[in-house]
Amino acid sequence: MTRPRRGLGRRHFALALPSALLASGCAGRHQGTGRPGDPIVLTLLTHYSSGVLRKALQEPVDEWNATHDRVKVRTEAVEFTDLLTTFMVRQAAGQGADIIQPYCLWTGQLVRAGVLRPAPPEHAEEIRRGYSAAAVRAASAAGGVYGYPTEVQTYALYCNTRLLRAAGFGEPPRTWPELEEAAARTTRRDGYGNTLVQGFGLSVYDDSTTVGQTLALLNAAGGRFVTADGGRTALDSPAGRAVFELEHRLVARGASVPGVNVYQAFPSGQVAMVISAGWWTGSLRPLMGADYREVGVAPVPVPAAGDRHATLSTGFLLGVNAACRHPDEAWEFLRWLNADRTRVRGGATVTRMSALQAAVGSLTGRADDIRTLLGRGGDPNLRPFLDALAYAVPEPNGPGAQQAKTLLRANIEALWTGQQSVDQALRSIRRQVDREVARSW
Amino acid sequence: MSRRRRFPLLSYLLVVSGAVLMVVPFLDMVMTSFKGPGESGRLPYRFLPETFGLANYRAALTQLNLPLLFRNSVTVTALITVSVLLTSSLAGYALAKLRFPGRDLVFRLVLTTMMFPPFLFFVPHFLILSHWPLAGGNDLFGRGGAGLTASIVALAMPFLVNGFGIFLTRQFVISIPDEILEAARLDGAGEFTLWWRIVLPQTKPVLVTLALLTFVDAWNEYIWALLISTADPDVMTLPVGIQLLQDHVDPTRTMPVVMAALVLSVLPVLALFLVLQKHYVRGVLLSGLK
Amino acid sequence: MVNTLAPETTAPATRRPQRTATGRDRARRRQSAVAYLFLAPALLFFAAFLVLPLGFALLLSTSRWAGFDLSDIRPVGAANFTGLFADGSTFLAPVLTNTLLFALGTVALALAGSVLVATCIDKLRLQGLWRTLYFLPMVTTVVAVGNVWKYMYEPGGLVNGVLNALGLGSVAFLQDPHTALPAVVVVQAWASAGSAVLVLTAGLKSVPGTYYEAAALDGAGAVTVFWRITLPLLRPSLLFVCVTQFLTGLQSFALITVMTKGGPGNATAVAALEMYRQAFSYGDWGTASAAAFVLFVVVLVITLGQLWLFRRRGEDT
Repeated sequence: MTRPRRGLGRRHFALALPSALLASGCAGRHQGTGRPGDPIVLTLLTHYSSGVLRKALQEPVDEWNATHDRVKVRTEAVEFTDLLTTFMVRQAAGQGADIIQPYCLWTGQLVRAGVLRPAPPEHAEEIRRGYSAAAVRAASAAGGVYGYPTEVQTYALYCNTRLLRAAGFGEPPRTWPELEEAAARTTRRDGYGNTLVQGFGLSVYDDSTTVGQTLALLNAAGGRFVTADGGRTALDSPAGRAVFELEHRLVARGASVPGVNVYQAFPSGQVAMVISAGWWTGSLRPLMGADYREVGVAPVPVPAAGDRHATLSTGFLLGVNAACRHPDEAWEFLRWLNADRTRVRGGATVTRMSALQAAVGSLTGRADDIRTLLGRGGDPNLRPFLDALAYAVPEPNGPGAQQAKTLLRANIEALWTGQQSVDQALRSIRRQVDREVARSW
Repeated sequence: MSRRRRFPLLSYLLVVSGAVLMVVPFLDMVMTSFKGPGESGRLPYRFLPETFGLANYRAALTQLNLPLLFRNSVTVTALITVSVLLTSSLAGYALAKLRFPGRDLVFRLVLTTMMFPPFLFFVPHFLILSHWPLAGGNDLFGRGGAGLTASIVALAMPFLVNGFGIFLTRQFVISIPDEILEAARLDGAGEFTLWWRIVLPQTKPVLVTLALLTFVDAWNEYIWALLISTADPDVMTLPVGIQLLQDHVDPTRTMPVVMAALVLSVLPVLALFLVLQKHYVRGVLLSGLK
Repeated sequence: MVNTLAPETTAPATRRPQRTATGRDRARRRQSAVAYLFLAPALLFFAAFLVLPLGFALLLSTSRWAGFDLSDIRPVGAANFTGLFADGSTFLAPVLTNTLLFALGTVALALAGSVLVATCIDKLRLQGLWRTLYFLPMVTTVVAVGNVWKYMYEPGGLVNGVLNALGLGSVAFLQDPHTALPAVVVVQAWASAGSAVLVLTAGLKSVPGTYYEAAALDGAGAVTVFWRITLPLLRPSLLFVCVTQFLTGLQSFALITVMTKGGPGNATAVAALEMYRQAFSYGDWGTASAAAFVLFVVVLVITLGQLWLFRRRGEDT
């Protein structure tokens, strides 16, 4: 049977292609007509599904489509929470997009499942040369490079400087003891014991807060989630214990209230400090308006004065589907988007991806690009995130990384809500995650 | 007689408060669907909306592609219902009134099919559909394309035949007197004519019941539809579309819109149920007899 | 649930004497052919969507398959099953225990509520109306049920509104790991009480009035009548409600997907949801299939256990 004709109106199909091309029968929906002379249509699946992100990506894609006759690119987007399932389900259904933008955490899983295609040597070379080591490592699995690193996020400490000042702190805390003291002193409660301001936001709202800030603190303490070879957990260590004990104390003292969604509470001035990723600046700025002036960003505090800075970095990569029928064209598009330099507004010469990410308040793994762009009137709060590129530890991305992260998150939540002690949490994470990452495939 | 002697106050109290508990969530859904921005989720909680505006319904119509969702839901539900009725009635007639070797075995097989819970099949069904040979760009060995997963057929496929439906119709067809069928056969009527002219009309009540049970289940199905819509957003059904809206937009602002969409999606089934509830009720009771 | 009813044989139609033996044979052959023709759609369907998938699932559950190409399937014996119960696996606890608690809680709540309501409804006017009201959730999509309740459980929702009006503090039902599972159990019980009420009312109707009259003559109180007469005579209906609700409870995850997605932490993670995730998020088809079979065995054992228990209790009295 032939595939029913698909409705295209709602797909925001930006290209002015003859509709005959789209009604084509058995060739996959993203393959064009296959007739000589007709353009190849590559689909790009991403989570830049709404608002500024969608627009920021669509701009260069439109530019490509306007200047390239033979290969057209069409973007499709789903929400981030559905992204991994969408990759897996569509791949199983033989409908995987030609170009995908997965979270680096999933690199190992997608490589193991045969979704991602290794970068051809010349592209791998280009990638290794152009990006920071952490970004390259996040886009690699089992020694091979699988795509161009795009958005890179590092973690740092967001502060409400007004609340800190009111509690007598002119500067953001630099060490854990300072952090604890500042958290305790900024916390305020009403007569009934309801928390009005929490000193340090620990939120169970999503991975980024629960796991992200725990791992950022862990890395700052010199610890790692899994060993270098990815085969075992390394969390059950003095550094891991120190992080869990710190979080446990913050919750026990009432300086952190894990049930509260910090993404709503911080902008409304109910949280003094949170560790989060750089992208948040982009949403806080419009959300807080003039109050954004009060937001300061500092490196993640280290356990003791004089310790070396470290934090967590996460990110995304753009790779080509193993099932893509026009891989050369797809890689060529990716090179154009990620490696070719172009002159942008203000006169800087950067890659299109760097311009795109900087426009939405994010970074890429090309620190020079971002430094250039920030030098021309960017948000100063992005600087600490940019500086962190030099010392950040990439999130582990082995084949079982997402499952390991999910297990870690469940245990952290159990620790915060008092269902587990520090010892129990460390032990159960080691048992659960070891089993997951050690499975042979 | 003794148990209906006096006005059973306590019983009324219990049953009515239980019924209120049953209905209040629905009322809350309707009320919330009228609440304005900032009005839902505000403390202290208020049951009634400040005004009964239709803004949320308009928003539901624009934010969701309701025509497409409705069309998909209707298509899938119709496909499933028609198919279940046809296959159940044909098979039920054969099992009840035709004599053929292996009848007991087939009947036992039909009963056995009811034993397997649906969750066993999510994974294999999906993989089988996507590797369906010679469909959706697949070759003879089911490689290379999307198989049947990229079509609305995939949504209906696993539900097209229902063991319980066959069992139910068979139990009813049995009660048709053999004399009527035999007389028609002597008049030269073929088995298909018998089925069409005698069996179908005679079993109309049970078919209505079966249709209603099937319709309600198909219209409300969520998990399988979610999976297939992930593979191909063009075949998204109402429950999946509404849930997607719920999941991804700021809940404090969109909840009233979600509620409005839910009201619209629940209404057709509720109306049908209220009109035909006798048949539905009987279906549930009959399913208790198996 | 399978019934053990053997197919009743239809009374052989009286044959007319003028038909010859060969004619009868031909007619019989023709009827066989027609019968299989009528059964063909159903049989083909069962072959493609029941037998084949079961075999495929069995194959997957004993294999490791990381990819999407059928030729990559590697047999691993029982490794997927042992992996589910290995040290550090979350399948047994909390996933399977959550599943059992969810099912048990639902059955207990729905059964207690529906027995109470059904016995009371039996004494009232407008029985049809009451029954219909209890039935509304049954015909409503789980997306509606889940979202409406999710909203009602929120700090600004109806449930907390009532609590606050009574002078009690708000509870973050779905965000607190201690209350999340009970909270979804209540919703599942709410949604399934209707059919239980229905089956039990029908069961009550079939209890002969003479029993009650005799009891009244003996001067038995309402409570005694309920425990000594109503409940024992309701046993078949109770068994049915129990078994079906347990079945639904053990395998249902649509409601949980809509309301909590298994969270917070693993507080509401249930087996069927875990299976779905293993397959469609992590691409671990083998573990997913193994989990499905384990759950199937649990369902089977619990169902047969209930049948056995009720039957034995039935013989005792």
